[in-house]
Amino acid sequence: MREWINKNSWAFFGLILGVVLVLAAAGFYIWQSAPAEEPITWELTLVGKSNEQRVLSYEDVLSLPGEEARGGFFTTVGVINGPFEVKGVRLEELCALVGGVTATDVVSVSATDGYSIVFDYEQLGGDIETYDPVTLREIPHEKLMVLLTYEQDGKPLPHNDGRPLRIAVVGSEALLTEGHYWVKWVNNIEVFSLQ
Amino acid sequence: MFSRIVRYISLVLLVAVIVASAAALTACPGGEPAKIRMRVLCAGSLMLPFTELEKAFEAKYPATDVLIEGHGSIQVIRHVTELYEEADIVAVADHSLIPMMMYNVTVPDTNESYASWYVSFATNSLGIAYTPASRYASEINENNWYEILTRAGVKLGLSDARLDACGYRALMLLYLAEAYYQDDTIFEKVLGEFKPPLEVQPGETATIIVPEILNPLSERVVLRGSSIRLLALLESGDIDYAFEYRSVTEQYNLNFLGLPPEINLSEAEYSELYKQVNCRLDFQRFSSVKPEFTGQPIIYGITIPRNAPHYEEAVRFLEFLLGPEGQQILRQNYQPPMVPPQAEDIDKVPAELRALLK
Repeated sequence: MREWINKNSWAFFGLILGVVLVLAAAGFYIWQSAPAEEPITWELTLVGKSNEQRVLSYEDVLSLPGEEARGGFFTTVGVINGPFEVKGVRLEELCALVGGVTATDVVSVSATDGYSIVFDYEQLGGDIETYDPVTLREIPHEKLMVLLTYEQDGKPLPHNDGRPLRIAVVGSEALLTEGHYWVKWVNNIEVFSLQ
Repeated sequence: MFSRIVRYISLVLLVAVIVASAAALTACPGGEPAKIRMRVLCAGSLMLPFTELEKAFEAKYPATDVLIEGHGSIQVIRHVTELYEEADIVAVADHSLIPMMMYNVTVPDTNESYASWYVSFATNSLGIAYTPASRYASEINENNWYEILTRAGVKLGLSDARLDACGYRALMLLYLAEAYYQDDTIFEKVLGEFKPPLEVQPGETATIIVPEILNPLSERVVLRGSSIRLLALLESGDIDYAFEYRSVTEQYNLNFLGLPPEINLSEAEYSELYKQVNCRLDFQRFSSVKPEFTGQPIIYGITIPRNAPHYEEAVRFLEFLLGPEGQQILRQNYQPPMVPPQAEDIDKVPAELRALLK
């Protein structure tokens, strides 16, 4: 072996160099692709209609009973996002922690960027228009849920998709809903009465 | 034999490394120049004309790749001022949003506002979109539309005033129609009841109060988050009529009933008339935008954010848009251009554009 190396030294070192460079390139690619894992510190404030308040951490939200479902949304100009496989907590479950929600209440969901949306009782129960993910035509749906999600396609939400908590309107059929419901970076959920 | 194989493998790997390095160099700065990618954020109703503008501009300036991205007008500006994204051009369907949301907000780490000028470059009008299959389509005109919309079996599409400017503009149009047609039942009869109710506070300037939740009680009225969603319902026959912008209706090859300029929010000469109605939303969707809007002509505005990464290209795009070629493209896409375009603070507008303005 030593004799062979001595005799073919340039070939041998060229081979070693090539292998090292290929491995380095592969390692660099993997390192660049791997998302940085940062610990998530977040506070979600829940406010009930009688002003009961509760502040949950990200881990608190994860510890609540979760649902898995599918769905996506489209923007004002029809750009489709998803459908995704999501996991999260039903909005009604969160409201129940601060007194619950009734037929005469609305739920306001707000985010760190100053955006908010409101849901009425029927919408919390799934009364929201759904659309075919290919044609964007309205189609009927079966059970639909409004979830506060923390996981999308098996991973924590990316930042641009609302990390760590985002509203999603989802069900078993992977249909789409209008994007204005899908509040990103949710930090406040409040129940108030319309009466 | 074995050494020969090793030599060949080494040579192949060496060549592969050299080729990969050469490819990486050409993709990196310092290699062959890549196209300049210019990001244009625009209101949804501008998507079609701006897509045509993009093609024409890129044909004229092949070194620039124009990326058009559409949103609601408030979201267009928020992407820059609240989500801190960089954009080269911002174009909105309500020119007053630019001073409201960009003049008093500073670019992070600077003392400069996001914008200090804008150009008003196009107009629009609000009317009624329908199809030949709509009930009473052959009968409807600018004198009987409000009666036809209340007939049994007729379904009217309305965009949600809390989410879409077209929605609250439709409410304003209905209020203005009462004075124009001298019939103070138009607003209530066309819209029917809502729960919670839609209230109108009378006064020198009347205020339409839109509650946090907007639920029509009548099955005759179909509400959707944006006026674009109503077009599909018109095409499918699920609704007969919808309040919609003229440009969008014609872009989608639907029938359009034009309404009198005294109520259709199209003409600057009727500004004082339009101001007689306000719309106040009890639902504040964006914390940075006070949800109260006064009736005014529909005027589109455009500006270059202070921190635009490609300022020269953005100026070039605006020159193109505001010049004869751009105006022709707008016309072809049923988007009436302002001729000439206008700017209030013309001294702050880039020098290259001033000759094009009033």
